Amino acid sequence: MRFRLVRVFAPALAVSVLAAAVTVAAHHEILAKFDDKKPLTLTGVVTLVDWRNPHVHVFMDVRDQKSQMLNWAIELESPIDLQRGGWNKDSLKPGDSITVEGMAARNGSRQAWGKSVVLGNTGRRILTASFAAPPPPLSPRPTPRWPDRQPRLGAAAAGAAPGYWAYPSSTALVENGVNVPMSTYGLLQNIADASKVAPLQPWARALYIERQRRFLQDDPMYLNCKPPGGPRQFELPYGVQFVEDREHQRIFVLIGSGNSNYRIIYSDGRGQKGQVGGDDDNPLYYGRSVAKWDGDTFVVDTTGFNEDFWFTNGGLPHTDQLRLVERFSRTDFDTMKYDVTIEDQGAYTRPWTSSSTLRWVAGEDLPRHICQENRS
Amino acid sequence: MRAFAFILALSFATLLGGSQVAAQEGHPLKGSWLGTWAGNKIHGNDVLVVLNWDGKNITGMINPGTDNMAVKNATLNPDGWVVHLEADAKDKSGAALTYVIDGKIEDLRLPNRSITGTWKNQRESGVFKVGRQ
Repeated sequence: MRFRLVRVFAPALAVSVLAAAVTVAAHHEILAKFDDKKPLTLTGVVTLVDWRNPHVHVFMDVRDQKSQMLNWAIELESPIDLQRGGWNKDSLKPGDSITVEGMAARNGSRQAWGKSVVLGNTGRRILTASFAAPPPPLSPRPTPRWPDRQPRLGAAAAGAAPGYWAYPSSTALVENGVNVPMSTYGLLQNIADASKVAPLQPWARALYIERQRRFLQDDPMYLNCKPPGGPRQFELPYGVQFVEDREHQRIFVLIGSGNSNYRIIYSDGRGQKGQVGGDDDNPLYYGRSVAKWDGDTFVVDTTGFNEDFWFTNGGLPHTDQLRLVERFSRTDFDTMKYDVTIEDQGAYTRPWTSSSTLRWVAGEDLPRHICQENRS
Repeated sequence: MRAFAFILALSFATLLGGSQVAAQEGHPLKGSWLGTWAGNKIHGNDVLVVLNWDGKNITGMINPGTDNMAVKNATLNPDGWVVHLEADAKDKSGAALTYVIDGKIEDLRLPNRSITGTWKNQRESGVFKVGRQ
């Protein structure tokens, strides 16, 4: 029997899953689509490798208990993550015999999330990607600065090696001082913690709980590749790059996740209206950002958001009354402190603040992840 | 005449909106809702409700541009997503009427969610069903 659906969490499977030690970095909550209470092991032959964003799919023929050959779709991390783990599009080829351990789709279809993949002919485990942050430098390097001593938020110097900000210390908004366990995509371990996360109005709390109960499967970034506006742009696995255009007093924030969008932060003294020709008060995914320096901290004030997206992993709601005050402080060469104050009288009972840090990824260009590449 | 104006408004709305339903991840009632209050002999079978949320109150208008009934005493109980709307109106003779709509949001997660329930005034009542546009 080559097909085996593991209904009991067998010790052997537990060991192998632990051995894989993959920190998932997918572009959405895995549990939205797959059920961690339904572990499975599939052995079969690769028929197709679909090496595309947002997720790689491996299709394989698997013989079931009735000796019927069935084709399964195995969803894996994005090409970016698999490449970081040493994969490439030729790591698996049609005809390869493999064993996949993972979890089954919630909807009962022949789809599975692959946690580990082992080649049948060699026994080599080929899915060994790890997405933990690289270790920090032994001693902090000084904050790079412009000639006028203003901190550089992007590249360390003209012509310097590329780099970007990633590996956020927190991947979902939670009010400072609150400690509630949740997944990388903000799925609460205990839904009773929902009211602790932020000072939600009753309707917003109920909607947040509803989204959590549905394992975040209604996330418009997942369903429709909607942009990660608001703090979410800093919570995602592929980071952000700051491109400082000092001549025009603006900063471009290039966003590695979602659809590789960008956001412009102006510090030329303009207001928050009419920044884009002709659209004046049209609500936007990234809002309208104006900024000024407060000592070594870049303070960004943003309004003008639409309500078409989730502004954080986890599904905390917002309304078009949302105002964000973001404070960026490059405390040393490799660390960006990010404090965001959320003011939204439409969804919250009072302003609240959440803080996190980002790590500098030196010598690399921003990954280009385009969600829509594999979406109709 | 009222029916003609409504159809004209509806045609414009359809032309402007096409078949797309705008995403809306904020307050679940916010937006334009189009449907029927079945059996309404005074103001017609079709109804358009435009609702907004200012952070404290749900405001809006029923049949804007045709009947212009301002929504009052509107509530949303998130425990079951129960909706209550009221609006003052006048019949053709100018006599005052108050509409009371009670319903529930269905398919909360979808942009084209709906409200189903009942409507009534001092003389009539029936089924109320609108979908978000």
